[in-house]
Order: sequence, then structure tokens, then C-alpha cells
Amino acid sequence: MKQPLYILSACSISPQHSYDMERFLNPVISSDDNKLYVTAPDYAKYISPVAIRRMSRMLKMGITAGMRSLEMAGIVTPDAIIIGTARGSVTDMENFLKDMISLKEEALTPTGFIQSTYNSVNGWLAMMTKSTRYNQTYVHRGFSLELCLLDAQMMLAEATGNKYLLAGGFDELTEEYFIIRDKIDYYKDEPVNSRTLLSHYDTKGSIGGEGAHFFTLSNDPNNATCAIHGIAMLQQPSSDALQQAIADMLEKNGITNDDIDVMMCGMNGDVRNKFLMDPLIAGCSTNTTIAAFKQLSGEYDTASGFGLWLVHYLFTHSSIPSDIIYKQGSSTSVKNVLLCNVTIACNVTLMLVTSS
Amino acid sequence: MAERVVITGLGIISALGTGKDAHLTAFRASRSGITGVTHLKSVHADEFVLGEIKMSNDELSEKLGVPTGDNGYTRTTLLCLAAMDDLLQTTDLSLLRNEPFAFINANTVGGMSKMEDIYMDVIATGTDEKNNKYINTLDCAESTENVADHYGLKPIMATISTACSSSSNSLILGARMIKQGIVQRAICGGGDALSRFTLNGFYSLKNVDKKPCQPFDQNRGGLNLGEAAGYCLLESESSAKARGANIIAVLSGYANTNDAYHPTAPSPTGEGASRTMQQALDMAALAPEDIGYINAHGTATQNNDLSEGLAIQRVFGTNAPYFSSTKPFTGHTLAAAGVIEAIFGMWAMEEQMILPNLNFETRMEELGIQPVSSLMEHTPINHVLSNSFGFGGSNVSLIFSKA
Amino acid sequence: MEELKIKLKQQIIDSLNLQGMKPEDIKDDAPLFGDGLGLDSIDSLELMVLLERNYGIKIEDAREGRKILTSVQTMAEYIQQHSKI
Repeated sequence: MKQPLYILSACSISPQHSYDMERFLNPVISSDDNKLYVTAPDYAKYISPVAIRRMSRMLKMGITAGMRSLEMAGIVTPDAIIIGTARGSVTDMENFLKDMISLKEEALTPTGFIQSTYNSVNGWLAMMTKSTRYNQTYVHRGFSLELCLLDAQMMLAEATGNKYLLAGGFDELTEEYFIIRDKIDYYKDEPVNSRTLLSHYDTKGSIGGEGAHFFTLSNDPNNATCAIHGIAMLQQPSSDALQQAIADMLEKNGITNDDIDVMMCGMNGDVRNKFLMDPLIAGCSTNTTIAAFKQLSGEYDTASGFGLWLVHYLFTHSSIPSDIIYKQGSSTSVKNVLLCNVTIACNVTLMLVTSS
Repeated sequence: MAERVVITGLGIISALGTGKDAHLTAFRASRSGITGVTHLKSVHADEFVLGEIKMSNDELSEKLGVPTGDNGYTRTTLLCLAAMDDLLQTTDLSLLRNEPFAFINANTVGGMSKMEDIYMDVIATGTDEKNNKYINTLDCAESTENVADHYGLKPIMATISTACSSSSNSLILGARMIKQGIVQRAICGGGDALSRFTLNGFYSLKNVDKKPCQPFDQNRGGLNLGEAAGYCLLESESSAKARGANIIAVLSGYANTNDAYHPTAPSPTGEGASRTMQQALDMAALAPEDIGYINAHGTATQNNDLSEGLAIQRVFGTNAPYFSSTKPFTGHTLAAAGVIEAIFGMWAMEEQMILPNLNFETRMEELGIQPVSSLMEHTPINHVLSNSFGFGGSNVSLIFSKA
Repeated sequence: MEELKIKLKQQIIDSLNLQGMKPEDIKDDAPLFGDGLGLDSIDSLELMVLLERNYGIKIEDAREGRKILTSVQTMAEYIQQHSKI
């Protein structure tokens, strides 16, 4: 990866007070029913009353997080809008599908159908920012956000004059979607207090979550908080292959294990990926602080967005919040962070984020 | 200058059949694949005509050599496998096993064609496990991963969903990955099976014509839906030449832009679509008069054809190149439309023939141009332009040139 | 007719989620689209479904629909003539 992705701003809508950063983790939002829904901000801030009338939750979350990220970076019209979402607006899909079934295909309203289209948030963000250039939507399960970032990285490396991109990922939890995924052991059978998720690493499944995370990216380091220097997507790797991929990424960037100040780890508490996570943690340098985030976000296909937002948060705040520390390391600074996410299907993604 | 990206393999299944011969025969006979409904279980089945592939899921499974019955494959995946099988008639699978390549797939509703039949059972609490093998099939990535698994391939995978421009975007992503040196080869395309969900969705938008569709006609009444899958093998020109591959076409230009106008409707003046075509021409370093044939998006909806027709006039003037929409042959195949129409464009160039816009009768009063309404053989074509436009203001144009 | 119009206005408010509006805020002959209530093409499709679900009136042609949906007055008149419920 020759072209670093400089992060100018990051916005998160998550179960935690992440949109309102001053209140982040004060208090920690938790649940006891294996579901973490977002703490909703005021969606009317960026979306007009006429537009917001028909919008579902997912659209409001995605649009608001995207607009806020641009505003924080001081960008009005991005050169591209690239989004990753595994399932788009699940609520809209459910509403249209169930209406179609119950009304026997008669007298259906189009709103659910339109908004369930995976690129509907892309379209709204383009309209609201008057961004008439590149616009793309990736829908590849646990790789959706990473593909979006990979595209952003390619785009900024191409000689197209593009300078400021809006990239983001989002997915939604609904009661029905929870039932569906619960049938294939996506969630734990036993009720778990979300804050204690990682002490339940002996059973199958995780807890459900949702969120929307957007990042304003540039190839210009001015005003950047940090930069993504490597992205890797590993399809069900062996433990050795994961270690090797990390070693390769560090080597390409001229750093070693000891240089990693924080490993931001997307451990989800599912016993089925313990074979990946245990050696990964054991292999970390004593310098490295291991941080974890799915006890705060829940598990979903684009949960790595919350992880990346948290990494960005570490670079903008001098200390590591105690609620995310899994194992304290000896390093006292935050210069190199490795984000390692693992999904229920045991796919792994890596991002190397550094201070410059 | 970045290396050129060429197309060295094609695979397709649509209502016209599987593979090149079936399609060329249908084109030359002006025989549409749009008919009454055989397989889609809709209460409106008797009212609509569709570009339906006249094979049941079991027949498709037999053809593919996979178990029939509840085999865990949705119709979307079966169509994708059929198109990939067709591509692999002319491409050695070992080529794809020996080095990293990309598989870029696209669809709009994942395995909705199956899920809509079982959804109420699936959301009921309880332990009935018979549907569990389909439970994840609403994910768009399902067909992508199943196709790769079926052939024992471990590519870099991506799935794109930008409504009706989805698979055109697959080709662009593959080309960019090749130009950046991430991979040497990429299989790019997409597929969508018919579903009640999409049929009723478009019907709720009052965009569906119950008669065979009439793109660019003054009296057009909307689209006919269809189903299809298609893939192109893209590779760097040097690697294609090194292995002595037959180069079907060069992907010489492409553009992806957004209307930023409305959630579903295109800008009525065709501004977005014209900008997209112009950018693709600029990238290919071509003048408008170099284009020999335009395979238009031409859905036959009021909005699309007005916007696209005006856009073509903006870029090419009233002396526009020969253009047609092939949707009266296949129906609007949504995520597959971009790639199958790109394939039709490449074949038109290979065969030096202009594909007809079936069912055309009356020129639109807003336009000074009209589509080619009957097949034209022996027409020189060196460059073809293929348009795909979708909800969310998504516009894509692709230009293919003779090798 | 007056009763129908008040009922219709409430149905429009509900179906289009016009938050904060009351039936008396909508004038009988005010244009629903464009400069009037500021509704758009998707709203017009929603209103056609409203007519179908509540009054058994099925409009196949979107352009014909737009004429019927000019104002609450035109809608009410059409309902009186064509309602099947």
C-alpha cells in the first residue's frame, strides 16, 4: 500500500455516546439481552423535515454520520463517496417484504423498496453534498468496510485529481434480524451483560450490535489525525497465516512487533475464533496495550468501523480509556496501532494506523 | 501510462439462453426472450411478461452438476454458476488457481428469490432447522462466496451493489485493480434472479409495462424485468499476450458518476448521464464520432429514456451513433444488466453488427434521435459505449475498443 | 363531501408522516405538489396506494394519478365518483 489514507475526521453513531464525544463512555452503555442498539443523536440536524419524513433508522444513521464527518473535516463536497454495508437498511427490506407477503402483492408503497436498495445512503449523501463524482457501494459481509477503504486508497493513488473522499460503513440490528442470525449461532444462547462479553469466551456466538461510522480521507497529510498504512482481508486464515500476514504488514512498513503501541482487537467472545485470538494476544509484545471494543459496539458485519473510529479517538485523546483495555502494555505513547477484527465466520481484517 | 486492460473471456446466461451462439442466434432472428411467466410464483404471474430463464432451479442444478432439491444454492447463485461455467468453457481454471486474482461480483437483492418463500418461517422463533442452510442467503456476498467455493478458488473477493449499474461497476473495479498491479486478472460481473420482491418493488413505482417494453418510444409504458448473470475475464494486456490469449476487446474507457439529483429518478435533462459518457470518452481519448454503437441503458421507463436520450444528444448531437437498448430481448436484469450489455456490445463489435431495439415504433417527441429498430449486419464498429444507470443517481459508462 | 375531505386530510398526514400538521393546515384547493405542500413523486405513489387501500381505487398510470392528486379537492371528487368501498 503505497498511498496512505490520511484520516481528517471520524464520526461514529454507536450504542455508546460516541457521536457526542465529550460523553464517551460516561457512562458506558450496556445491555443484558445480547443486543446493543445505537444511542441515537438528533437526526434532524442534517436532514430536512421534508426529507426525514419517510426515512428509516438506517438512512438517518448513515446520512447523519456521513454529513457530520464532512463537517468536522470542513469539507462541503467530497470527490467521492464510498460505502460498505453488509445489509443496508434491513428495516426497509423487512417492511416491504412482509407487506408484500401479508397484502398478497397488492397495494404496496414503494418507500421500503427504494430505501432497501443498498446504495440509497450513497444517493442521499451525494444529493446533500452535491457530490457528482465517484460513488460506490460494497456489500461483502465482514469485508464491506475494508473493501470501501481499499477502494478509497486506490482512488487517492490514481491520478484523477481526487483529494477528499468520504468513506464509511454501517449496519443495522433489528429484532427479526437477531432471530434469523441467532438460528445459526451468531449470538450467545445465554444472556450476557455486554460489558462482560469477553469473559464469556467459552461459548459460541457474540452479542448483536449496530452502528454507522464515516471517515473523511485524503492523500494530503495536512490536518490529518492519523493515517491507514495497510489494509488486509484474510478469508478464514489459520493462526499461522494470520501471524504471517501481520508480520508481512509490519515489515512492509518498516516496523516491528515491539513498535505496536496498541492492538485494537475485535474479539467478539465466540469460542470458535479462540484459536486465532489466543495466539494473537500471546504473540504481542509486552510493549503493546491490547484494547477491545465489541463489548461496547456489539458484533455486526461492519463493526470494524467502530474499531477504526476508536483508533482515531486514541490519536485525538492522549489516554486510552480503561473500559477498552484488555491487557495493559508498557508503551506510554500512541504512534502505531494495529486494528485486528475477527468475524463470527472467522474472517479477519487488519489495518495498520499510524500517527503520520 | 498505465497498462491497458483487455477482455479475454466471457460467460453469460439470460432469457436468450446460455453462451454466445444462443444469443447471436436470437439477435439475428430478432427473437425476444420476454414471455409469460413459468417459474416466478407471483400472484401477478398471469399479468406480466418477463425475461425469465426457462429452466427451473433443479434443471439449472442438473446442468451444473450439483445436487438438485434444497442444495443451499439460491437461484441467484445458480445463475452466477451457469454464467461462470460458460466463461470457463474458454478459460483454463488452472490459470486462476496459480496466482492471486480478483472475483468481483454484483447483485441487488442477494438470495431474495429464495428468502421471500421462506421468510415468515425464518423469522419465527423455534428450532426448525430445515431453512438454516438458506438463512444467510440474503447477504449479497452469498453468491460471490458460493461461486468461488464451487470452483475451489481463493480469489480476492468483492461484492458491489449500486442498483442497476452494479455489474458495470464490477468491471471498473477489476480494471482499476489490474492497473494498480494488485492482480493481473479479474473475473468481473454479476447476476440477479427474478424475485417477487423486485417485481413488486418496480410495480409499486409504477414503472412496469405489462406488455413487451418499448425503449425510446413515444408510447413506452415502463420496463419488463428479467434475470441473468454474466462475467468477463479482465487482464493486463501484457499477461494476455504472454499467454497467447484471444483478446476480445480492450476496456478503453469507463466512468462512474452520480446525479446528486433524486433517490430514484435521473436528472430530467440528462446532465448526469452525459457527464458520465463524456468522462468515459475522455479516458479512452476518443471523439464522439469514434463510437460506432451505443448499447443504451434504455429501460423504457418514462424517466430513464428521456434523460438518457437527451444525454446522448448532448454528447453526440442529433447525428448520434447507432444506438439501441437490448432490454426488449432480455428484460431489465438489474445487477446483471451492465455486464450482459457490455458483452452484447463486445459481440456487436466482433460481428460488426448493430443490435436492434425491438418494439420501437414512434420517435419520442422530445428527441431528435431514435434507436436502430432492425438488425444491421456489416456495419463497421471500432468502439462501443455501454451505459448503465441506477437508483441513487448511480451512472456508469463503459467503452470497449477493438484489440 | 366535507367529512370526506377532513378524513382524507388525516389519511394524507398519516400516510406521508407529515409531522406536526393537522387537517386544518391543509387547504382544500392548495396544490399538494410543487410549491404547495412540497410533496414529491414518491409521495404521489404513496397517495395512490392510500386511494387503493382505503377507497378501492386503483390507478395504473402515474400521469393520470398526478391529475387526480392535484389537491385534496380533486382527490375527494374523484373518490366520490369512483370509490368501491
